[in-house]
Amino acid sequence: MQLFIGGACAGKRDAVTQRFDAPHWHSAHAGCRLEAWRSLTETRCLVLEGWERWIGQRLADEPNDDRLRQAMARELDALRAWEAEQGGQAVLILLEMGRGIVPLGRENRRLRDLNGWLAQDAAARCERVWYVWNGLVKSLTL
Amino acid sequence: MIAFISGGARSGKSTHAEALARRWQAERGGARYYLATARSGSDGEWQARIGRHRQARGEGWITLEEPVDLIAALERVEPGGTLLLDCLTLWASQLLYSSEHASELAEVRGIAMLEHLLAEARRRDVALVIVSNDVNEGMPPEDAEVWRYLAFLQRVHRLVAQEADEVIQVMAGLPQVWKRRDGEPS
Repeated sequence: MQLFIGGACAGKRDAVTQRFDAPHWHSAHAGCRLEAWRSLTETRCLVLEGWERWIGQRLADEPNDDRLRQAMARELDALRAWEAEQGGQAVLILLEMGRGIVPLGRENRRLRDLNGWLAQDAAARCERVWYVWNGLVKSLTL
Repeated sequence: MIAFISGGARSGKSTHAEALARRWQAERGGARYYLATARSGSDGEWQARIGRHRQARGEGWITLEEPVDLIAALERVEPGGTLLLDCLTLWASQLLYSSEHASELAEVRGIAMLEHLLAEARRRDVALVIVSNDVNEGMPPEDAEVWRYLAFLQRVHRLVAQEADEVIQVMAGLPQVWKRRDGEPS
């Protein structure tokens, strides 16, 4: 599993496109639900993006931050298991959103916190982590 | 040669950029220019900010003021000179929002102007040090206009970072090297 993290419009998609051949894009921005990746297991390389949306969709139903963090981490574990069993490659694209002012709204604060925890949990499970900044890409691992 | 230097607010971007411009001028000879995108006739807070930057820069700079038209500014630089442009965030907002330039075509015009600036600087042997401010790593904006500004500024950053020979991210006054002058990533 590999992680690409960077701010809005930093060039994360281009960074992934340059490194992976014909991946399948599973995107929240195209209306895909997170857990629906399980029906795409025929694909060899699976890119998952829009995690902040997937977190946002779950905020109302799960008021407990720890449980929601754990639920997201279980998705990461399931992706790792799929990789091991099927020989696939999972690529996560995460939005860096933690470097601004604390948001005024409670839901936005939760979203920002959970997104930060997800980034930590994802990085801990990835062999490679890449930081995308103004179209340039740097490895944070190795 | 072209350098792109960016980072957060008060991260030490300008100090690093000024030092680099001085070093390049010392290597190359020629005059050293400072292109201010802020007009000095603005309000008191701006006067103070401008004064602080001017004092920190010290002597030996020829100051050019040009809020939007970067090509007009470049035309005033002698070949062989070194030009420091500080900074793109202000230029981008003036390009998008100042009444004489604001239009649907402002983004297209802005990107074309920057491409022209980079190519012309190389052609005229003007060393260019470009400073900007990263504003895309906080919560994504909810307002559509702010999104438009952010998306445009990021397009500008990606273009300049791609074209530059040296790219530096400044954090807490310390330079993180993304690209060195020979084009090799660090």
